[in-house]
Amino acid sequence: MDVAAIQTSKLSKNYGLGRGLFDLDLHVEAQEVFGFLGPNGAGKSTTIRCLMGLIRPTAGSAHIFGLDCIRDYVAVKRKVGYVPGEMPQFGSLRGSEVVAYLGALRGGVDLKVVRALAERFNLDLSRRYREYSSGNKQKLAIVLAFMHRPQLLILDEPTSGLDPLNQQEFFGLLSEARKDGATVFLSSHILSEVERMCDRVGIIRSGRLVTIADLDELHSIRFHRVELEFAPGTDAPVKAIRSAAGVEDVVASDHFVKCIVRGSFEPLLDALRGTTVTNLVSHEPNLEEIFLEYYRETAPTKAMTP
Amino acid sequence: MIAAYVLALRLGRWGIAGFGAVAFVFTLVQTVGFYKIAGRTEAERQAFGRSMSVLASQFTVIIPPPVRPDTVGGYVQWRAFGFLAILFAIWALASASGATRGDEERGIVQALLANGLLRPTMIAARITAFATGAIVAALAAGAGLLVGVASGGETFSTVLALEAAVAAAVLGVCCYSLTLLFAQLTSARNSTAFAGVILLALFLINSLSRTFDALVPWRWLSPFHYYEQSSPLVPGGTLDMRATLVLLGIAIAAAVLAALAFRYRDVGSPLITLPAATTRASYETSRSPVWQVPVVRDLYERRVSLLVWTAGLSALGAIFVVLTKSIVKPLLAIPELAPYFAIFINGNIYASFLGFIWFGFAQLLMAGFAITQVARWTAEDSDGRLELVLSNPISRARVVVERLIALALGALIIAAVSGAAVGLESHYQSIDLSSRRLAEASLLFVPFTLVFGTIGALLASRIPRATVGILGAFAFASYLTVQLGPIFKLPVWVQDISAFKLYGQPLSSGVDQTGLVVMLVIVIAGLMASAMVMERRDIGA
Repeated sequence: MDVAAIQTSKLSKNYGLGRGLFDLDLHVEAQEVFGFLGPNGAGKSTTIRCLMGLIRPTAGSAHIFGLDCIRDYVAVKRKVGYVPGEMPQFGSLRGSEVVAYLGALRGGVDLKVVRALAERFNLDLSRRYREYSSGNKQKLAIVLAFMHRPQLLILDEPTSGLDPLNQQEFFGLLSEARKDGATVFLSSHILSEVERMCDRVGIIRSGRLVTIADLDELHSIRFHRVELEFAPGTDAPVKAIRSAAGVEDVVASDHFVKCIVRGSFEPLLDALRGTTVTNLVSHEPNLEEIFLEYYRETAPTKAMTP
Repeated sequence: MIAAYVLALRLGRWGIAGFGAVAFVFTLVQTVGFYKIAGRTEAERQAFGRSMSVLASQFTVIIPPPVRPDTVGGYVQWRAFGFLAILFAIWALASASGATRGDEERGIVQALLANGLLRPTMIAARITAFATGAIVAALAAGAGLLVGVASGGETFSTVLALEAAVAAAVLGVCCYSLTLLFAQLTSARNSTAFAGVILLALFLINSLSRTFDALVPWRWLSPFHYYEQSSPLVPGGTLDMRATLVLLGIAIAAAVLAALAFRYRDVGSPLITLPAATTRASYETSRSPVWQVPVVRDLYERRVSLLVWTAGLSALGAIFVVLTKSIVKPLLAIPELAPYFAIFINGNIYASFLGFIWFGFAQLLMAGFAITQVARWTAEDSDGRLELVLSNPISRARVVVERLIALALGALIIAAVSGAAVGLESHYQSIDLSSRRLAEASLLFVPFTLVFGTIGALLASRIPRATVGILGAFAFASYLTVQLGPIFKLPVWVQDISAFKLYGQPLSSGVDQTGLVVMLVIVIAGLMASAMVMERRDIGA
């Protein structure tokens, strides 16, 4: 039987006053891309720090490839590439020196890989770290995490600060790492990001794992707030919109319509056929709104956690 | 404005508390010290005053000569408020450069400006907040004088103490405004050094003008010159209103210019920027071998500060040697000082003097070096660098050991070079120093520095935010205990607690074996405890 890439059992870190991480049971298979989704302060970084052996759990255990994250933390790090939630200060060191410094600590880094990664993200390593923008600092964090071709990538909100083009590049890099056999543990608070990359998603809120969802379930959780404006003097097809599959909470006023669309946009677009839509705005709600909606939907069966 | 003022006060609260405490303790110790060593009768005090005048004449490069040091007011004006001027200038420098360019690097300035705060208002709020802090600290200094006088069974005019406090506070504000102005002109990285060099130059123009007549025409440029016009604690002395108003005028003018410069420069950039040379992007890792060697890479990263510490201590050591004969000879001619020197000196008079004065002061500097390294460790812990380092396959104990080895090697470099400088200069000055003892005294700085390093490493693992403050207070108290313990006849056990006592007087008396063993025990125990605590502590939580 294959060893799980990540295995936690009742993993807890209690900071008091209801803050922390409680009874986390996770099982991430090798070569899986696992998303870890939660709003700010939900416990994502605490989980990651427990996995990295940086903080000691108050209860439970965490293992990476069968190694205890606390007892065997040095051996664990050999297998892991890590993007922290926030890059530290390296003052007047150049990017090339930061890579050399941390690469020497790790050992066995292929300089060709570093070069390829830096070129791919157009990261000028000759510049001083203090001159880097937040995006460049994040690129450097990605280079440091991938430079030794790790078996497991633990990534704490890795796309924060990256522009859309570099986000695309990062997702491409992640896909390649996956094809090469790496396991990925990706923390994020952006639903579309994990939806795009991950096989399964763990959703955490207030320090407790709410659910582990596959992609189908994730699609059902996701929704958009849509605002439609029709040409003045024309009738909005309110009835057709109300009856479209996945369209909810329809509110009509004059030639404006607001609604929620869950899942595909196809039924709504079918309902709009033959009308003159002068403006259509779609908002993806933030994760907290999605959770509130999710809990509203599932309240009878899923208890709201503290 | 009020919110910005309150925020500025909040950001500087530890500086106000720390410098206020130091100012209080410093004047208190000097005042109490006066009653301990000056005697009680009129004749005793006049003799003491004459001795101090002779002694002070050797230090006019640093502080002005005393006026009526036979009185408590004259003595404290010289010994306490003379040095407080330097202390307040250093505080103003650190605070102002941190408030302008440091807060820019931390994003605080951007956040304030984004919330609608006007740039001139921000400058005004910062100056007002520092002025508040300076007044608090200066009043604490005045309170130290009054408490000390009361302990001597005498009374002193509260108004005069207030006037002395006002003079010190105004000088602090003036230095603060000047630093604010100078800090606008350079990059954030160089602002403290740039402003520091100018303030030092202004200080030296005034202090050296007491020795070199060629500088007299220029001393009007120096704020310290105007500060010295006031000597309210001296019998018959007053707060010189004209000089104080000049200082205030300089402060206001510098603040206005700083506000103007701030208005016209980009946040994060100096007022005048030179076009940078265009270079091609590089995607290569540094191939320098220094990054491959543990400890060496740490030393290489801090090579500039290590160089500054080494050069600074070497230069100071050499200066102390140069001054030794010219200080000691006149002092030996004063019969009243014989009992005073008998406390410290045995054997070779010059070696004893250098051992007590220079190596005593160098211990304080080496403790300062250790504290700056510990401050760096706590910063690495709190800003996430340690987290990133530990994401690599290295043990936590290794981090502790490498940090302490780097500290030991740094201390060794400073000790060796400064020891060589002292040895060479002693040779030129025909001062007979034992090479073996000089080497021992210099090398003994390594375990001494490690005592502070290991205590700091342990504190940093448990209470990182308070580490530097506690370690600094420990160093300061240790220094005062050894320097003043014999004078105040403090109990032996109190003096034995001092880390400085463990160092002993190796230049004149040889290595104190017991002290060395105790230091090594502290270092080994501290290292093991630090490694154990590091293994169990949470990182980045």
